[in-house]
Amino acid sequence: MSYLPGTASLINEIDKRLLIVLRDGRTLIGYLRTIDQFANLVLHQTIERIHVDKQYGDIPRGIFIIRGENVILLGEVDDEKFKNSGLEEAPIDEVLEKQRSLQLQKQKEIEEKRKALRERGLEPSHLESIQEDF
Amino acid sequence: MLPLSLLRTAVNHPMLVELKNGETYNGHLVNCDNWMNINLREVICTSREGDKFWKMPECYIRGSTIKYLRIPDEIIDMVKEEAQRPRGDGRGRGRGGRGGGRGEICLNSSLYNSHSE
Repeated sequence: MSYLPGTASLINEIDKRLLIVLRDGRTLIGYLRTIDQFANLVLHQTIERIHVDKQYGDIPRGIFIIRGENVILLGEVDDEKFKNSGLEEAPIDEVLEKQRSLQLQKQKEIEEKRKALRERGLEPSHLESIQEDF
Repeated sequence: MLPLSLLRTAVNHPMLVELKNGETYNGHLVNCDNWMNINLREVICTSREGDKFWKMPECYIRGSTIKYLRIPDEIIDMVKEEAQRPRGDGRGRGRGGRGGGRGEICLNSSLYNSHSE
């Protein structure tokens, strides 16, 4: 299969159901309806998929206009490989609850690291700020 | 149909705009341009963590700071109607004004209302 150069290759993906990963780590799945020269995307009947360990849950989100700069990758999901991936669907409430407790745990670890650094006379700085501003 | 034309179709409709820094803005689209700069009215801003809320009558958002916009489902139907309509008459572009927003975006903003101020 031959690909059009650069952003134009997305034309071949129009009206397919695609998985999109954003720079903030979120995963969206939806029908790609239209694109432009900046790779801005319109997604239709979109769901947001939340992964925690081997479990995932979906949240319906509707129509997205995504600014192209925020996209890391997109592509079709291979059903066969997906079945063998070991991922299993779980109720979204459960997944969100797990995600929340995981976040709290990480936050706690960061606090502890910070404390340990202070006790050793070091000023914790940007090292542990998870915030990704760009 | 380009993404920005779809956005233009969504003028006067409610939408959710998330910025690259994680803040979200819920409001009605007043205007937009070719750089995705937008004006919103009746806006509720939510902090990155979702714990703080600000209400403002209007705001301007520079296009380059946007991560994504979520627009109501009926916009797609409007696009279909517009595509079917014969071109060139220029008049009778109906369905102006405030579309009755439906779905989660609106639910969210009513939810936020109770927290704000």
